[in-house]
Amino acid sequence: MDHPTESGAQVRVTFTTQEEDIQLDESKRQLLVPADIRRYGLSRILNSESMLDTDSIPFDFLVNGSFLRGSLEEYLNANGLSLETNITLQYVRSLIPPTYEASFEHDDWVSAVDVLSATSPAGRWSGDNFQRGQDRILSASYDGLLRIWDASGNVIGTSPSGSHGGHTASIKAAKFLSSTQIASAGMDRTVRVWKYTESGESYERRGELKPTLELYGHTSSIDSLEVDGASKRILTASADGSIGFWTTSKASAPEVSDSSLLPGAHTSKRRKLTTSVTAAQRGPLALMNIHNAPATAAVFDPRDRTVAYSVSQDHTVKTIDLTTSSVVSTFTTSHALLSLAALPRSSASAPLLACGTSARHITLVDPRTSTAATSVMTLRGHANKVVSLAANPENEYSLVSGSHDGTCRIWDLRSVRPATKDEGGMGSVSEPVYVIERESQQGKKKKSGVTGDGCKVFSVVWDQLGIFSGGEDKKVQINKGRGVNAE
Amino acid sequence: MGPKAIEKKRKVQDPEPESDDEIAPDFDGALSQSEDEFDSDFDDNEHEQDGEQESGSEASDDEDEEGSLLSDDIPSDAEGDKAMGKLVLEDEEEELKIEIPGVDPKRPEKDDGEKNYRIEKDANGNERYVYDEIDPVYDSDDSDAQEAPNTIGNIPMSFYDSYPHIGYDINGKKIMRPATGDALDALLDSIEVPKGWTGLTDIHTGNPLNLNDDELELVRRVQMGMIPNELENPYPETVEYFTGIEEKMPLSAAPEPKRRFLPSKNEAKKIMKLVRAIREGRILPYKPPEEREKEEEEEEQYFDIWQDEVPQEVNPLHIPAPKLPPPGFDMSYNPPAEYLPTKEEREEWEKLDPEEREKEYLPQKYDSLRKVPGYGEVVKERFERCMDLYLAPRVRKNRLNIDPNSLLPKLPSPSELKPFPTVAQTVFRGHDGRVRSVAIDPTGVAVASGGDDGTVRVWELLTGRQVWSVKLSSEEAVNTVRWRPAKDSFILSAAVGEDIYLMVPTHASVTPALDQASRDILSAGFGYATNGQQHGAAPGKEPPAKWARPGAKLEDEGVLIRITVRSTVKVINWHRKGDHFATVSPSGQRSSVAIHTLSKHLTQIPFRKLSGLAQTASFHPLRPLFFVATQRTIRCYDLQKLELVKVVQPGAKWISSFDIHPGGDNLIVGSYDKRLLWHDLDLSIRPYKTMRFHSEAVRQVKYHKGGLPLFADASDDGTLQIFHGKVPNDQLENPTIVPVKVLKGHKVVNKLGVLDMDWHPREPWCVSAGADGTIRLWM
Repeated sequence: MDHPTESGAQVRVTFTTQEEDIQLDESKRQLLVPADIRRYGLSRILNSESMLDTDSIPFDFLVNGSFLRGSLEEYLNANGLSLETNITLQYVRSLIPPTYEASFEHDDWVSAVDVLSATSPAGRWSGDNFQRGQDRILSASYDGLLRIWDASGNVIGTSPSGSHGGHTASIKAAKFLSSTQIASAGMDRTVRVWKYTESGESYERRGELKPTLELYGHTSSIDSLEVDGASKRILTASADGSIGFWTTSKASAPEVSDSSLLPGAHTSKRRKLTTSVTAAQRGPLALMNIHNAPATAAVFDPRDRTVAYSVSQDHTVKTIDLTTSSVVSTFTTSHALLSLAALPRSSASAPLLACGTSARHITLVDPRTSTAATSVMTLRGHANKVVSLAANPENEYSLVSGSHDGTCRIWDLRSVRPATKDEGGMGSVSEPVYVIERESQQGKKKKSGVTGDGCKVFSVVWDQLGIFSGGEDKKVQINKGRGVNAE
Repeated sequence: MGPKAIEKKRKVQDPEPESDDEIAPDFDGALSQSEDEFDSDFDDNEHEQDGEQESGSEASDDEDEEGSLLSDDIPSDAEGDKAMGKLVLEDEEEELKIEIPGVDPKRPEKDDGEKNYRIEKDANGNERYVYDEIDPVYDSDDSDAQEAPNTIGNIPMSFYDSYPHIGYDINGKKIMRPATGDALDALLDSIEVPKGWTGLTDIHTGNPLNLNDDELELVRRVQMGMIPNELENPYPETVEYFTGIEEKMPLSAAPEPKRRFLPSKNEAKKIMKLVRAIREGRILPYKPPEEREKEEEEEEQYFDIWQDEVPQEVNPLHIPAPKLPPPGFDMSYNPPAEYLPTKEEREEWEKLDPEEREKEYLPQKYDSLRKVPGYGEVVKERFERCMDLYLAPRVRKNRLNIDPNSLLPKLPSPSELKPFPTVAQTVFRGHDGRVRSVAIDPTGVAVASGGDDGTVRVWELLTGRQVWSVKLSSEEAVNTVRWRPAKDSFILSAAVGEDIYLMVPTHASVTPALDQASRDILSAGFGYATNGQQHGAAPGKEPPAKWARPGAKLEDEGVLIRITVRSTVKVINWHRKGDHFATVSPSGQRSSVAIHTLSKHLTQIPFRKLSGLAQTASFHPLRPLFFVATQRTIRCYDLQKLELVKVVQPGAKWISSFDIHPGGDNLIVGSYDKRLLWHDLDLSIRPYKTMRFHSEAVRQVKYHKGGLPLFADASDDGTLQIFHGKVPNDQLENPTIVPVKVLKGHKVVNKLGVLDMDWHPREPWCVSAGADGTIRLWM
């Protein structure tokens, strides 16, 4: 214990943690430390041989629900506590500010981003088929094209245009099903499944996207798409208020029931689009018209793939049993909901649902019917609609949100304070830990008083490779996420 | 020592009387020369007085001296001094002149008889006067006597070159030549120049002639161009000999001059001149009587300024001027004894402050009226009476005693009335020039807009992405765009000039089925159109409107019908069922209001004659009523009975727009004279509430149609104002109207701000069209 023994007061602290692998011995938990010690000093003490004996894991310290930002003494002064107080410090692996890495330029607004890596869901689903180091980034754009990028920012593959079997309008959502399969959906009301193949040497890879399946059923723009590679299921949310449940296998998918949805069903002049490539046309496994306003997002339960959650502009969150295609429970919030992410919880059976609202905040909803309060927590800080959410792939308590205000914000659910009266006075509130600005807006003057005008973020993904966000500035921006989620 | 002491004493004592005596005559003379004779007289008098005083003081002096010294010399001495006063002064001057030789030639004379020398025999046996050493008295003038100079006279010093001395002092002693240093000393001296060294030798003494400090300072000052004498002030304070200030008390006490009491000869001369002129008839002392009469007549023209006054009616609430109480006994000059104040009462009355006294006066008794003096308080009393009359109220006014705060309605605070739009969240950019109209489609997903660039555009609501656009005209602006209010179709109407276009803005999200349904609805009436015209319109009359296809190019874009009317259409409003829509073209005389039936492709002109220029028209949301707004009034017609039901008079000078509450009983009106008016249709034809919160014209007013108690107005000052307007279910209660938010963001371009706004069908969101070319979504 070679911490500097400077003059001044000492404070008795008790270290606790909730992470199993870095627990301290019972005897070491109580310690006297100098009052002017800061986060770095405490982190060094913890990493020292006599304590945890680790290779310098950066730690952050939670005191009474908020992160320690100054010295302990400052904290005590700010809260009017005496130096005699025994402080309980909960140590957590530190979040490191996400640093800007790269931007990939597009021709049009980027509506969706996904990542294929060893740790991403698609990477795991593809299992051994995925070759290490072949990290790929998928971006969907408003020009109706999907692009596959390698990690160094080269376009490997582009989807065919509308006249060649591609999307005939802007794509709003796209996801990797596996390393060889991609699903996308957009304003042309179709979900398309693509076969993705790569050829060529490692330095000159060429990817090819071939449409394999066109899924019809929605009657309006599809705003969100969620996939489960293991069961080959797709979940979509559309502006017609319905949630679609689809399979990617040609054989098991039912035929299109409503033939009027197919292109060419009506022979108006403009509709006569001759497609050189024809993909199989299939219908949904289930189409649940459960929302009476545009549905904006639907996700699978991270554990139980037969359960899905959906949100809509009609202010509701619905739990859907996919086996029976029925709504299990409905939670009504006070704002239109625009995005959804499920945060897995080890302590509870159901995940925590983070819902981005049009009222500029994120509401956390506990979907279990037994709980008394539906809204667990509110995350405040965005200045515009929150349209994209992604959970940290490695822990249960942090997530990133993308908003039309042109920022992505990283939240830590462990840092909580009770809501003030202005905020409704109910529940607890958290504030962002880090804010990722759009790199393209650096040094630009704002044209109007509207935040995020010209640099709205439409989609954000969090992977171990980093935080990927696409937006109105026609770029996919990559911020280092490696340090953000700890080792 | 005796005489010396006397002399000393005299010198000490004398100065005062001496100077007084001496200076006074001199002054007088000097003054008398410049002053008048009167003044000199006055001075003489004064001088006499002075003289007396002086003699007094002299006498006392004499006494003193007699008493103390008993010496005979002193009076004579003093007299002599007095007489010779001037001489003494001259002596001193002379002394100054002759100072350099160091000998005072007058001294022996002064010491009459007394010898201050002794006679000795010199070397030759001749007489030689040896003078006493001069006693350096403190006050003596000899203090600055120089050391004994050489007495050899004006002869060349070379005569003494062969002697060891260089001359003789006044006592005949040799002045020895100062020892001169050898050449080395001289050299050293020349190198090490002492302060004030001049290199000259005093010929009389042979000493080196050096400059002392004062002289050096003088030389330095001359060299520096400064005034040589340090003590002399080159800029003395000016003495104001003549000033503009008139003294209150004249310095001179001279008596009035004689001429002031004698008749002036000059004036007598002038008067004689006048007298002579009158005698000779050159001057008339009085005007001739005729002339005077004329003048008098002219002067006597008076004007009666009240001659035209009509006697005013007495106000029913008039109060006559307050009367003074009649005088009582205590005001009598001879009051009964009981009214007279006792001594204590009088004292008490006098002690009180005049303002606190009960009565202004004390009763007083006089033997007879003749003895009553003038009343001292009469002016004050009259003045106060005048003031009383002036300030007295003349009309009775009923004043309400109500706390003004209690009259303010108890409004809930805006934060309790959430949700309502607060900030701009999306900006829709793309229009070139002003955006004149904006509308959200019934599903709440798309926004349509039309502007000065002649295009109609459809946007995705949340992202601000343009998904569809068509250019309807390259010259004229799109005045208004409105969606057909039914979810079974996707039909947009737009007005450009005299044309109304109906279109299906089919972008990718519209299913082919919906697209086809919309097209079917639009083209269903083509069969009717021909039939309708045959029997609907009178032969020879031009049909009120022409329904036609707009041409292949526009049809490809989705624009399917063009309706051409007679004059520029400014307003389109759909009936809730989507089969009828009303258009208003303010410039069209008779055909300004038209009702179109979509299913029959039929246009009807409901009004043969309309009082005033039609501004806008709208269908009632529930009942078959039709509202038409002219510049000043809104008329409500029953469409089934075809009769006028109601005339609403908002009191605005020029109505710009109005909207009917979805409940059907309330109406909001916006006017170009900056007002927003809320009407309760059941209550009165006058507005229930007038809101004047905008600084410019109100362009558009809209109720939220999706069940939220909100309404908003858009104004040329670049702002939208959001109001909470809750209409209670209970008919007896009044609607609650609370302004909750001012939405600022649109720029004012050419004095135009926000031209149109529309509410989202469900959410508390609204879109606004600005003259700055942008559309904004507020949420």
